[in-house]
Amino acid sequence: MTDLTHDQALAPLRRQRHLKLPPLGASLAILFLFALLLAALAPGLFTRIDPLAIVPRQAFQPPGWAHWLGTDQSGRDIFARIIHGARQSLLIGLAATAISMVIAIALGLLGGLGGARVDRAVGWLLEVLFAFPSLVLALLFVAVFGSGVGPLIVATGLGGAPGYARMVRGQVLAVRNAGYIEAARALGHPTARIVLRQLLPNAMRPLVVTLTMGVGQAIVWASALSFLGLGARPPAPEWGTMLSMGRDFIANAWWLTFFPGLFIVLTTLATTVTGRYIQQRLEGRLP
Amino acid sequence: MTTTTLAVTDPRRERLAALGRRAVIRLAGGVLVLWAVATLTFFALRLMPGDPVLAILGGPSGNPTPEAIEAARVEYGLDKPLAVQYVFYLGRLLQGDLGVSYSQHLPVTRVLAEQGGATLELTIAALLLAWVLVLLLTVVTAGRGRLVGGIASLAETLSAALPHFWLGVVLLAVFAFGLRWFPPAGSDSFASLILPALSLAIPLAGFIAQVTRESLELTLDQPFILTARTRGLSDLAVRFRHALRHALLPGVSLSGWAIGALISGAVVCEVIFSRKGVGRQLYQAVQAQDLPLVIGISLVVAAGYVLANILVDLLYQWIDPRQQEAAA
Amino acid sequence: MNTPILPLIPLCTALALLGCEKTEQHAAAQSTTPQQGGTLVYATDREPTCLDPHVAGDMPQVFVAQQYLDSLVSMDSNGQIGPWLATSWEVSPDGLRYTFHLRRDVQFTDGTPFNAEAVKANLDHMANPKTQSSTAGGYIRQYRGTKVLDTYTAEVTLATPYAAFLEVLAQGFLGIQSPTALQRSRDQNCESPVGSGPFKVVRWDRQNQVELVRNPAYNWAPPTARHQGPAYLDRIVWKFIQEPSVRFASLQAGEVDVIEALPPESHEAARRNPDVELIIAQRPGNPTNGTFNLRRAPFDDIRVREAFVRSADVEGALKSVYFGEFPRAGGPLSLATPFYSGDFERGQDYDPARAARLLDEAGWTGRDSEGYRTRNGQRLRAVVLIGARTPPSELTLWEQVQATTRQAGLELVLDQMSDAQVTARQAAWDYDIRIGYWNTNTPDVLRIIFTTAFVQPAGVGGYHQNSSGYADPGFDALLDSALATQDADLRRQRYFQAQQQAAAQYLQLTTYPQSTRLGIYKTAHGVRLEPSLAVTYLYDAWVNK
Repeated sequence: MTDLTHDQALAPLRRQRHLKLPPLGASLAILFLFALLLAALAPGLFTRIDPLAIVPRQAFQPPGWAHWLGTDQSGRDIFARIIHGARQSLLIGLAATAISMVIAIALGLLGGLGGARVDRAVGWLLEVLFAFPSLVLALLFVAVFGSGVGPLIVATGLGGAPGYARMVRGQVLAVRNAGYIEAARALGHPTARIVLRQLLPNAMRPLVVTLTMGVGQAIVWASALSFLGLGARPPAPEWGTMLSMGRDFIANAWWLTFFPGLFIVLTTLATTVTGRYIQQRLEGRLP
Repeated sequence: MTTTTLAVTDPRRERLAALGRRAVIRLAGGVLVLWAVATLTFFALRLMPGDPVLAILGGPSGNPTPEAIEAARVEYGLDKPLAVQYVFYLGRLLQGDLGVSYSQHLPVTRVLAEQGGATLELTIAALLLAWVLVLLLTVVTAGRGRLVGGIASLAETLSAALPHFWLGVVLLAVFAFGLRWFPPAGSDSFASLILPALSLAIPLAGFIAQVTRESLELTLDQPFILTARTRGLSDLAVRFRHALRHALLPGVSLSGWAIGALISGAVVCEVIFSRKGVGRQLYQAVQAQDLPLVIGISLVVAAGYVLANILVDLLYQWIDPRQQEAAA
Repeated sequence: MNTPILPLIPLCTALALLGCEKTEQHAAAQSTTPQQGGTLVYATDREPTCLDPHVAGDMPQVFVAQQYLDSLVSMDSNGQIGPWLATSWEVSPDGLRYTFHLRRDVQFTDGTPFNAEAVKANLDHMANPKTQSSTAGGYIRQYRGTKVLDTYTAEVTLATPYAAFLEVLAQGFLGIQSPTALQRSRDQNCESPVGSGPFKVVRWDRQNQVELVRNPAYNWAPPTARHQGPAYLDRIVWKFIQEPSVRFASLQAGEVDVIEALPPESHEAARRNPDVELIIAQRPGNPTNGTFNLRRAPFDDIRVREAFVRSADVEGALKSVYFGEFPRAGGPLSLATPFYSGDFERGQDYDPARAARLLDEAGWTGRDSEGYRTRNGQRLRAVVLIGARTPPSELTLWEQVQATTRQAGLELVLDQMSDAQVTARQAAWDYDIRIGYWNTNTPDVLRIIFTTAFVQPAGVGGYHQNSSGYADPGFDALLDSALATQDADLRRQRYFQAQQQAAAQYLQLTTYPQSTRLGIYKTAHGVRLEPSLAVTYLYDAWVNK
């Protein structure tokens, strides 16, 4: 009985501790993301092999010394393709998230600041967009505008926009009556300046976490579309495309499919862990 | 019995009435949303490049004669101005006619009827499986100490990070091709449902578990839990009977979104596992530029999703009336 | 499998007229006596768009229709035409009238009797533009009409002599359906066609399977079949499994009894598996190829065409992409085609030195900064159209061709787009190479793909069967003359000349022959390929489960 109360007394502290990930995890995640960024900017640092070089005699080599992660059906080095694919994936993920944010900020500001009628209209528009599961929306977009990296980015961006828009709108509504906004208005600052300098940054701060994880999500969505053959087309070294091309050979050469997928998982994991870490720091739950 | 000024109405009836009102409002809103969706898809798909007549008449290998093309144009109403086509289209929609698929030469409603069942089966199975996993993982391991919690948390984060298309291929390779525990293809047997449902359920379970775990741990610290414990209830009983009901709320609200994610996932999983379903059908329709089928499936999916969200919302209301004024 | 191609060619040339069926068996068939009853599960990769093979007409359609439709005549593995629903026939001296004497005991599964009216109804149906028959209708362009002389005698009239008429009539694409059924709407007939064959269609469960059951009244099998009377199997479940790895895994697990389109990457595993037997046969016709567009540069110059062909290492590509399972096709006809000649197989061999000489001769002597050849400042460049539904292996093959032609200084651009856009570009002659193939049991295919008559668009869509634009009146005359005679020796001579000319003109880069590849599990026996198109034939099959 005493143990119970003792436990209960310590429970809040203990709860904090197991929600907090050990710094080891977070640092690994951040390190991975940094390495990924480096790979995207300077792939030459990681590999000298040309990811598009076809060497038919070396097709389907298993992972080994010459080719760390093996080769694919045309003899292309998989590690090289993954490194170069990092640029594709990161580019797509960041661009798509950027598009989502632009749409979200536009709609969120409109809804949050425009008055009741506009707000209702925006809310209604969001409902309409929300009515589609994200992949279905992306498929519709691709159906109309064709496949390829450009439509892929826009489609993925569209898929994520409604979620962010709702959050932005909520944040804008919460922040617009804050003290510092009143003060700024009282001081006579122009509305645009208030919005840009005070409102938006404060509204967006809690979204940083969501955005970080969102980039990971965008990469997964884009990979899913490429996996279906509707995004980056072969022989582009995009991870989803590589996964799809390797699918037929999974019985003979599992490494074609396994490694691109592994990197997608690691990227998503890294963005999630990093995002959580940032959140916990922001909320002051860490020392 | 004379009424007094302090008339107390039956709280239960009040709640039901409020729920009913809300349901009507949401349904009406849903209909409007669907109208907007139908309009959006109609005009979007009319913008598609390529002549739909060629798609109808057999695609790349067909060699239609001029008469056949004219006949098809009239048959599908493609010779009229866009606005007229739109009005006809809405009219047919109201009568439940979604047109005829270009690639399958079947009414779209029939395609949906034949394929919808399999997707519904997959989605429900995945959702149930996800919840089973969530409950097992969180209820048993919440609040038990740093190591257990840490491991469980790691498992959840890892599962949530698994892309379902990769998981599906890996599960297929290991369990169907390699170990031969499950059939590699098919939509008929129960056994063929397990691997696709798992590949959708595991990532979803990861998401929901994270949220439910947080909420559960918060709940487990509440005073009423202590009270229940002092009454001598076993730990498991406390967790399941008392804590869970309160902790479920965030998970339930996520389930609405989850259904949408599952439908998206079903598209890919049906392709990987060679299953019947509207997901794979939609994908093929997009490839074949089959307008009526793409519109039809998108509409029905949207309708289903809207309905599911309304139901989830009502369920949420029912469980927790304090949320009456929840912001949109 | 690294079987060298060289010794194989003379071997197969010798077997050429037999259709070169390479049957590999390592499971000794224990039971040689057929068993009655049972269900055979068959899995193929593509689902047909319509179960009536008259409509459109692609390979998935003819494969399934072969089980429930009979043809007027049959064709054996020597290319000889034999009786089937027609017992005998006469051809008028001018080659314009074919009089068929029909069997009297045939009935369709809906009770309609088979007679001359039925023949007329079928041929009219194929020729009718409303049917939208690309293949069958295309094969009987010369058809003018059928006269019913009496109940069991039909006289078919053609506009021009057509020696290949009997050959195309043996194909499943021109299978005979019940005239009562043909009067229904096209969509209804697509769903549940009615024939006189050993099986009949019960149900088409879209995206999943077609269910067939035995026709108990069947008693008019062709002489190419192994038995007479009703089929052994009670039921056939014709499944569609698109994913090659899943299809193969289903076979290995015994979930399906027979699979078609055995993926090349799984051939080795299939050979090693004692429970699985393979049947691999080349299909007759024009092999898989990239056809050059002669109407514009650079392929308007025969030297550039030959140089492109010589600089592409197709053999190396086939070894890696298709695991050496597909042989190289060097000539315009596959070796399973009647009147095929093996003399033209080596004309497309990899010879980069010759390619370089030819390009120099043709004036492409300059080099730009990326190493590609130029002439008058223009880069030597060719565009090949890749549709959305091109299999990844085909794309990989062309990527490797791209890599090797690059070494010769030729830039090959793989232009990827939707299938509808491919059709549009083809119609507009806006391409340099178009990937294609043509499965048919007659060398008359050369007329369809290489003569002037087929350069014009077949319909308003603009698609033209002759993708090369080759329009040589001498060649046209040669192929028309081959049609004008029934004499086999004369035809052989003329088709030899036709192959010679087509090969010498380098109108296509032929890659690999089309083939039917079946994997058969130990439970199924008697599964064969019918000789005309190498289509799966389950009439003689039985199961042992």
